[in-house]
Amino acid sequence: MPRILKNWIGTALLAGAVLATPSLAISASCCGGGSASSLILPKFGKAMVDLSFNVEQYDGFWDTTGRWTADPAGSELSQYRLNLGGAYRIANNWQISAMLPYVYNSNRYTGLTSNTEGVGDAAITVWYEAFDNIMCVWDVQSWEDLKPAIYLGSTLTVPTGISPYDDVSNNFDITGRGFYRLDASILLDKTIYPWNFTLGYTYGVHFERPVNREYGNYVQPYQKQLGNRSTFTTSFGYTYFTEKMQSITYTIAYADLRENKGKVNGAIDQTSGLRKQSFAGTVAWASDDRDWVVKTTFSYAPRRSGWGRNFPTTNVLTMGVSHVFR
Amino acid sequence: MSSVKSMIFATATLLLLGACGNGDLSPSNTDLRPQVTPGTAGYQPSQLAIDFTLSDSLGNPFTLSDHFTGGAQPANAIVLYFTMWCPICTSHMDHMLFNVVPSFATRGNTAYIIVDYVSGSVAGTRASELANGYGGSAFTVLSDSNQTLFNLVNASMGTTVVIDGTGTVLMNEDYRGGANLTQTLNGVLP
Repeated sequence: MPRILKNWIGTALLAGAVLATPSLAISASCCGGGSASSLILPKFGKAMVDLSFNVEQYDGFWDTTGRWTADPAGSELSQYRLNLGGAYRIANNWQISAMLPYVYNSNRYTGLTSNTEGVGDAAITVWYEAFDNIMCVWDVQSWEDLKPAIYLGSTLTVPTGISPYDDVSNNFDITGRGFYRLDASILLDKTIYPWNFTLGYTYGVHFERPVNREYGNYVQPYQKQLGNRSTFTTSFGYTYFTEKMQSITYTIAYADLRENKGKVNGAIDQTSGLRKQSFAGTVAWASDDRDWVVKTTFSYAPRRSGWGRNFPTTNVLTMGVSHVFR
Repeated sequence: MSSVKSMIFATATLLLLGACGNGDLSPSNTDLRPQVTPGTAGYQPSQLAIDFTLSDSLGNPFTLSDHFTGGAQPANAIVLYFTMWCPICTSHMDHMLFNVVPSFATRGNTAYIIVDYVSGSVAGTRASELANGYGGSAFTVLSDSNQTLFNLVNASMGTTVVIDGTGTVLMNEDYRGGANLTQTLNGVLP
């Protein structure tokens, strides 16, 4: 394959908590990279496996001022990700999960075509459940019934993907960002059937690293650090139960992703930093025992100025299935 | 639960496989730049830039050597920036246009050249230039329709090359924050 036919689009971060939590899709592109989902195991579940497939369509971007601009005429940029993950309960209120995406990039410009694939960045998460019993209720009979389920989590993103600083031919190879990142998360989830509401906040710090290679070319070594990242999410859902007590949950969600400016050799990189706001709708079917969940999410980012900054505008379709082991 | 353990094992195996050969897990600060002989033809720093001719977005020919000392349009420095009109690219280009260019406006003559290697035609390059708001700017935008210069320079998105009036390459690296571009121009402009 000619060198030019390599790929540039990075990968994406799917921050979707399955089951009764919102499914959100926030993405990164040439600037950003590969990460995976974080999974949440339901209370009293012992383990869970999750398989999902994302189709992300790129459609323009927001520039540094927030102005939305179309991609070059004739271009068609897509990314497909197959995510495999698992969660395991390690104690009554503790669970650990990991997820790894496999990324396929398809980019067509008028002047070139590029198709590449590879592993993306992995994510390993530890969650603490700050509650001892299932917090979902059918009726509010006391103030106690209004208490949400509170999850406290920490995620380590591991740069297993192909980054600009790896052994690549050029920027078309990228499937990851190349940086370790440690996130701290809080998720509040309240379900009063049939309604569900969640609030989530994540703050992440990228670790500084040395760089001695850019897109395959060795350069004078320097230190680089991406900016700290924060994500706010909220969702609202409604669950319908069939006569056989299978459930269908409809969820709408909003996500606001921000990343501060990074540093090069300790100096602020004024060209970095990003923001993306997106909306998502999810339909999830769960079996009567809640052991099987099949879900579809469509995440939409408005193609309008002011809804992002220095970042691609994308739509993401996610289809997934998960199974809980009791 | 054996199937769960199998899945966990498979995930861990995938993680390890993904890590194989990946320098990002343990990044290096060792200087591994290849030694080049100064004055030879090429696009590494200290080499003499190989000449090229491309069309600009208005269809006019642009020949690099015309901007060398003694050429038709001599410049103290020529800056090449490779774009694919992505957010990082326009972030770099905006920084160059609104910070670097004004900083050196009174110091000699610098040619700021944007190289479009994705639009595939002069018309496509012009359309992208206008759509991204660079029409009439200080940039000259070249259409590298067949990625000729892209391959010659061994470039990528964001590659920034500085060449002085003698044709010597002073810098060839990612734009990063523009600090090295500024430092390089500071050293070469009167």
